[in-house]
Amino acid sequence: MTSNKIENSPTAKINALSDSFKHVLERGQQYVDLLDQLAQTDDAEELLAAAEKLAEQDLHNAFIDFPQHYQAADYCMLFMGRLLEMHNVTSVTVDENGQHEFVAMIDPLEDTSFKFVVSDNGEAAFTEQTQQQPLFYMNLEQRLFQFNNRALVNYFIVYALKKHSDLELRDAIKPLIEFANELADDLNFTINLGILNTANNQRFKLREPNLQLTVIDRLFVKTGETDYMLMNLPQNSGAELLLDQGIKFDLSFDPDDYSQEWAFQVKDPGEQVSFFDILLHYTMVRQWYLADRDALAVRSDQLIIADDEDADNDQLAATIPPEPTEEVMSTTAVDEGPEDDADNDSEAAADEDSEAVTDEEATEQKKHDEDD
Amino acid sequence: MANENQDSKAVDVSQEIKGRIETKVKYLQELDQAIDQHRDRDVYRLLDNQRYAKEIEHREQQPNDEGVMSLVDDLADQLSSYLSVNLIKYLGKTYPFFYYEEYQTGHYRIYFGNWWDRRRFGELDVLNVRFSFDQTEYEMLNKSFALARKNKRYNSDRINKISSENDRLQDLIDHQREREEKRQHIQEELKDINSHSGLFESSRNRATREELVAQLQKLEDQESESRTAAQTIKENEQVVLALSKENTILSYEQKSIIDTFGSFEDFELANRNLYADYLKSLADDKDAGKQVNAND
Repeated sequence: MTSNKIENSPTAKINALSDSFKHVLERGQQYVDLLDQLAQTDDAEELLAAAEKLAEQDLHNAFIDFPQHYQAADYCMLFMGRLLEMHNVTSVTVDENGQHEFVAMIDPLEDTSFKFVVSDNGEAAFTEQTQQQPLFYMNLEQRLFQFNNRALVNYFIVYALKKHSDLELRDAIKPLIEFANELADDLNFTINLGILNTANNQRFKLREPNLQLTVIDRLFVKTGETDYMLMNLPQNSGAELLLDQGIKFDLSFDPDDYSQEWAFQVKDPGEQVSFFDILLHYTMVRQWYLADRDALAVRSDQLIIADDEDADNDQLAATIPPEPTEEVMSTTAVDEGPEDDADNDSEAAADEDSEAVTDEEATEQKKHDEDD
Repeated sequence: MANENQDSKAVDVSQEIKGRIETKVKYLQELDQAIDQHRDRDVYRLLDNQRYAKEIEHREQQPNDEGVMSLVDDLADQLSSYLSVNLIKYLGKTYPFFYYEEYQTGHYRIYFGNWWDRRRFGELDVLNVRFSFDQTEYEMLNKSFALARKNKRYNSDRINKISSENDRLQDLIDHQREREEKRQHIQEELKDINSHSGLFESSRNRATREELVAQLQKLEDQESESRTAAQTIKENEQVVLALSKENTILSYEQKSIIDTFGSFEDFELANRNLYADYLKSLADDKDAGKQVNAND
């Protein structure tokens, strides 16, 4: 922090100005190179590197004002757009809006757009704009990706289904899943598809530890006027709804596990159907789930973003049960969304060359700037 | 003379005893062998010759030899357990919706279905190859089939009654404010009228006053009912859920019977013919077994 010492001599002042210009010009050249790389490379690793470095770049300077440039959120969006383009996924269009922000449109959702919202810890939330639902989170530096179960239900199941058919929404969510899989395949991201996961052994634990059996009774009663049947699982360990084409929808606990944690599970012969798909396609299940959502909400096992203490030795993703819950995540995301933007701006200004700025450091630097 | 008579009598008796013992030994040997080779049909024949003759061989008038058959009375539970293996296997195919629980040796509870909530439906009488349905439960099913023909469900009437009662209670809760306003209004009127009462109160005035008091009383009754209405609604909802569950169980049962038998009447017919059908299926199996042996 020697550069911040107050120098009084004119020569020193000129030198400082000159150094600053050099520094900024260098920075400018780097910036242009990275932009080229982001726009042109066909290599996923180079694409990621460009997006990551650009997101950290800061062009603010006391002496030189660069023309309009983009925010970390925009680089995330460009990165997503390019990666999808490299894989010939055409249903997502990334474009710049009037405020120099990059937003995505997803076919066939013509009535909404999507933006990234980047939070203090570098987590970029892909946020639907009409309902402000953060559908997934990604962290480029730590190569983590995770869908937000609650936001998926809030946006697609509760809201969008009023305007779109289930098949349209299925089409809309496809490129997002493809994006996640591309991150995993091309860039070794640790991904969590949440309720979009179609694997038969995937279990989604309920947020509430105790489930009243009358909740399952209500689903049972709903089946009375349909061709679907709700069966009892061995050892009274839960219920299994028999749906079309051999699809089985379970709400059960492991009878051998003392804790008896209730969980949803979807099993189908081709492992192609997710819990989300069931909510989307089966009105009966959807109505039942939403009517008792407090009791039936599933947990979001969140991928850990390494924090201050263990930033050096623990960059690995891990899954932490049982908190935070999907409820907490959504509240945080929705309530603090707008503030995050403001914070990002001031932090980007404070952030010098440091690769990963922790909250504490950022605050210190901010104070320092104010002191200046 | 008397001695001689007794002697010949003794000879007769000992002959008779020997004969009876032979019959019994022969019976036990036959049963022993049938058990040994798991010839269940023969076991059934030995356990109830009369029924076997009538229903399988169509020979009436074939009395059971109780003296012989009672030999294995104390083995009823074990025999039942032994014979249940093949019977339940057969019933698994012909009555796929019944489930059995051996709650003590040779005694089987029947459960109708394997769904989320199901009914205990009586017992399986293995030795007699018959369902011993719980009459109350069976009558419910019978009635629900009759109601289904009129497009009704077993508890529909009760559910509708409770639902409209809940609507009424909800209405009471929703109109709390209107009642309060009305009550104040009536009290004002009463105050007014009371000032004109007294010794020379006109009969018209008195009638109005009594009418107002009655109205006030009615409002207060409604008010006190509305205070517990929320709780009552909740309790009623639980009752409705229980009744709906019963409806659902009955509809699952109807569905299963129709899927397997086509109609309730065909289901009942199958129950009546179960003994003959089952033993006949054992005969078929045995023939098949013989053929396999012949080929060896």
